[in-house]
Amino acid sequence: MTFINEPALELRRAEVRDRATAALADLDARLPIDVPVLIDGRPAPGTPFDSVDPGNPATVVARVQGASAAQADTAVAAAAAAYPEWSARTGHERAEIVRRAAALLRSNRLGAAALAVRECGKPWADADADVCEAIDFLEYYANGAAAMDDGQPLLQMPGERNALRYVGRGVTAVIAPWNFPLAIATGMVSAALVTGNTVVFKPAEQAPACARLVVDALHAAGVPHGALALLPGGDEPGKALVAHPGVHTIAFTGSCAAGLSILETAARLAPGQRHIKRVVAEMGGKNCVVVDEDADLDDAVPGIVASAFAFAGQKCSAASRVLVHEAIADDLIERLSGAIATLQVGPAEDFATDVPPVIDREAQERVASYVDKGGAPAAQAPAAGDAAADGGPAVSSDGYYARPTLFVDLPEDHPVVTEEIFGPVLAVQRVPSIDAACEIVDAGTFALTGGIYSRSPRTIESFVRRSPVGNVYVNQPITGAMVGRQPFGGGRLSGTGPKAGGPDYLLQFVEARSVSEDTVRHGLVV
Amino acid sequence: MSTTIPPTPTGAAVPPGADRPSAPAGPPSPAPGGSGTTAPSGGAQPHSPAEREAAIRRVGAELDRALPRPSRSPMAFAERRAMAQLMDDPELKAAVFRFVDVRPACADAPALARHLAELLEDAEGSRLGRRGAKMASGRGTRRLTAGVASVGVRGMAQRFIVGEDAATAVPGIERMWRDGAASTVDLLGETTVTEAEAESYYARCAETLRTLHDAAQTWPAQRLLEVDAAGPIPRVNLSVKVSALTPLLRAHAPERGIAGATERLRGLLRIARDTGAHLHVDMESFDTRESITELTLRLLSEPEFQAGPSAGIVLQGYLTESPEHLERLLSWAGSSNRSSPFTIRLVKGAYWDHEVIDATRHGWAPPVFQDRRACDRNYEALSRRLIDASLTGRVRAAIASHNLRSIAAAAAYADEVGADIEFQVLRGLGDETMQALVKTGRRVRCYSPVGDLVAGMAYLVRRLLENTSNDSFLSAQAKGTDLDTLLEAP
Ligand SMILES: Cc1cc2nc3c(=O)[nH]c(=O)nc-3n(C[C@H](O)[C@H](O)[C@H](O)COP(=O)(O)OP(=O)(O)OC[C@H]3O[C@@H](n4cnc5c(N)ncnc54)[C@H](O)[C@@H]3O)c2cc1C
Repeated sequence: MTFINEPALELRRAEVRDRATAALADLDARLPIDVPVLIDGRPAPGTPFDSVDPGNPATVVARVQGASAAQADTAVAAAAAAYPEWSARTGHERAEIVRRAAALLRSNRLGAAALAVRECGKPWADADADVCEAIDFLEYYANGAAAMDDGQPLLQMPGERNALRYVGRGVTAVIAPWNFPLAIATGMVSAALVTGNTVVFKPAEQAPACARLVVDALHAAGVPHGALALLPGGDEPGKALVAHPGVHTIAFTGSCAAGLSILETAARLAPGQRHIKRVVAEMGGKNCVVVDEDADLDDAVPGIVASAFAFAGQKCSAASRVLVHEAIADDLIERLSGAIATLQVGPAEDFATDVPPVIDREAQERVASYVDKGGAPAAQAPAAGDAAADGGPAVSSDGYYARPTLFVDLPEDHPVVTEEIFGPVLAVQRVPSIDAACEIVDAGTFALTGGIYSRSPRTIESFVRRSPVGNVYVNQPITGAMVGRQPFGGGRLSGTGPKAGGPDYLLQFVEARSVSEDTVRHGLVV
Repeated sequence: MSTTIPPTPTGAAVPPGADRPSAPAGPPSPAPGGSGTTAPSGGAQPHSPAEREAAIRRVGAELDRALPRPSRSPMAFAERRAMAQLMDDPELKAAVFRFVDVRPACADAPALARHLAELLEDAEGSRLGRRGAKMASGRGTRRLTAGVASVGVRGMAQRFIVGEDAATAVPGIERMWRDGAASTVDLLGETTVTEAEAESYYARCAETLRTLHDAAQTWPAQRLLEVDAAGPIPRVNLSVKVSALTPLLRAHAPERGIAGATERLRGLLRIARDTGAHLHVDMESFDTRESITELTLRLLSEPEFQAGPSAGIVLQGYLTESPEHLERLLSWAGSSNRSSPFTIRLVKGAYWDHEVIDATRHGWAPPVFQDRRACDRNYEALSRRLIDASLTGRVRAAIASHNLRSIAAAAAYADEVGADIEFQVLRGLGDETMQALVKTGRRVRCYSPVGDLVAGMAYLVRRLLENTSNDSFLSAQAKGTDLDTLLEAP
């Protein structure tokens, strides 16, 4: 089946925005959503906690049962029990089920997006893109898994039949982030399932309702209840899964520190463990946009603003550094500062919002501490609500807002320049040449995304060649990778380098098995 | 006063100009009936489709005869040949456009030479490109080649731009006026991303209105350009872009852009009113259409603008929704109590590629026609509807096109129903069309960009791309397509 990306909502049309707003009102009427521990399809209680609207923490989005280490154990056992049956099905059969899940999400496009708006503070366009990407992953991986049934062509000799087949690895623990609460969760879970693994899914603490929506869709589509368990909660169930001897694969997206600790734990053989765990990790980034002296600032300024501040800078791919050729640095800084001053900070559901709240109090405090360390900013957007027109949704003073902030000329080793902030903070540095910029990029520990604005073909070529990052963008924003178009993922401390939404991703979740049969009987080939 | 403008049954009208003299003529007599009535009286037979087609061919041939002959202008001929060559050499065309695009960002001659050489090197499939690359990177020829290319680009830009600022533009605008063509000035500039940039664009607009006002005092009378059936027409005419007046245009939140631009557009309307100028609001990409339309109509509905200024907006015929959009504009104009008619400039639309690319990337149906002929048919239908509506005196019809067929269709229909309309062209692209329109006694206005080289370049690239796109009328004309084909009904 040929793959095409799920079309985005055409939010530039008033009637589409009206339907979106209506879907959010529907959702609000149903809040809070119950999210239980779900093992073998049976809801179970746990340690209760809530997920809230980051723009208005008084609004409880989900009442959640947090899973314990013991429940993680039960879930792995259930997944192991479901594995033989599920893995025995063909890739085509599993692909059909996964495609049905895509259809279910598609029929609930607005409802799903509304949930991401409410629970994670994703502005509509980003929330919708999250739903679309989830659908894309389902369709794309379904195609990939179906194609895997055919194996790979091998050399054949007379009287010998050779085949290379792909089989699932076993129980997969999926540990997902909140910033793409639907897309990344769906991508990791469905990649594991469609290739014949069973899954225990531990979503981010901040996005349990989104996780439940994904799990419900997959179950409703026909994934056996035993093959997919949901363990909401914090560190406890996650840690238990990573250390569990029954887990074969760990698919993780999140912070660098957590990723490294997972790799370390997973490398230790637990008592009773008879296999090597594989870790598929997507970690942080400290992504740079390089601006050449011949760049068109009319494109570069909006591109940088979008890359750095959309969704409050909380995409792994977001820009947090700009390295600008000194010849146009003053121009760029002036225009960038002016553009940042026009950004409207406000609730995610307001279509007029440019920058939504950050995810929680902790994130808000972290961003504030970096802003403090940075000293006097070169530019800052007005505080939430200050720029809003009358008539829009109310801006709660309790919302976890952070003002987009620009720093200029900080020392090379300043924490704002070197550490991942995961918020709306951008640092601009001048460089004497694009070569110098390449050296700075190359000295970094992360290698996720990066971009260049230039109109010199040779400079662009050289930047692309020297750039260590997994996703390079030329003369465009550096976020918003599309399934099947820009397979996503980085190297170095940014991850183990799987390319989500690309042709190689599913290989992380399978073992290759070679089968060779002698077809000669009594000296004849039969 | 409140007059709605119901659709007119096409053709039910007087044809005073059906047999229009080809010598320059004064404006046709005012539309009978005046404002408040729709279908003009007169009792003449509506034209049959065949008669109408014949009239279009007649007007088209007449315009064609009035075009300056290329042989008389060797420069134009050389340029036409160069353009034709570019159209057949897509790699070279890409290199040339990229060079034009980056030209103002090159600090010095070595930077220029480097870019030129790199871009031409990439035009691997082009023989001319390879030769150029050698020249642009060769030791002895490097400087010279870059110099020539740079001067060439400057020369090209100057053909499209009437001056660096209002003051230097005045002589060119006055010359046109004396030669029988009106103008509308457009101030080029960077994309507005900050409030300071919006403020500076506003200040340049204000200053331009004043400079032109002062200059226009001494221009000689041009009856055709100063009065039409609906009344007096201002001498000074400024086209403004809302996207330059505010950095806050947001596709998902039209009210933000409206709020951001309201004060500045209001300020310009006041100056236009006080200096007796016409203010025209350009139309831009589909993402901004709602903001631009709402903002314009809201401001013009304010009591302080009831008595002026003369103002207008643009309708893009390439939009599939343009017929409904035109009805919205007409219904607003019909019920507005402004004293001057509302000018509607009918264009095809300058953002066709952008709209198609943008929509396709998002998986949307493009908002524009994808078939050239369907677009042109729609343009003709919109022209007729707009021309009919102009008979009420509540709106003025401005047909902005370089397509001889589109122009002839509107002109023939206006003649048929006795409407008094205006034609508009872009400086640099429509110079010859303008001359032909002047010569055949039609009212014509030339859209005249003003700005420095940096600002001009982006504009120049867009115009060049338009001019050499295989789909454009001008490129068909430049290739020597015969008149019958050019005038074929879409
Ligand atoms: C005085 C003046 C003012 C203008 N102001 C504006 C303005 O405010 N806003 C604006 O957007 N434009 C404006 N334009 C630009 C105008 O839209 C372009 O000049 C016009 O698109 C060229 O049309 P044409 O009739 O001269 O040429 P033609 O060659 O007849 O038409 C070319 C046009 O057809 C359309 N087209 C091209 N390919 C296709 C296709 N495959 N299917 C369907 N349609 C296609 C495109 O719109 C293209 O530009 C203005 C033009 C003039 C003369």
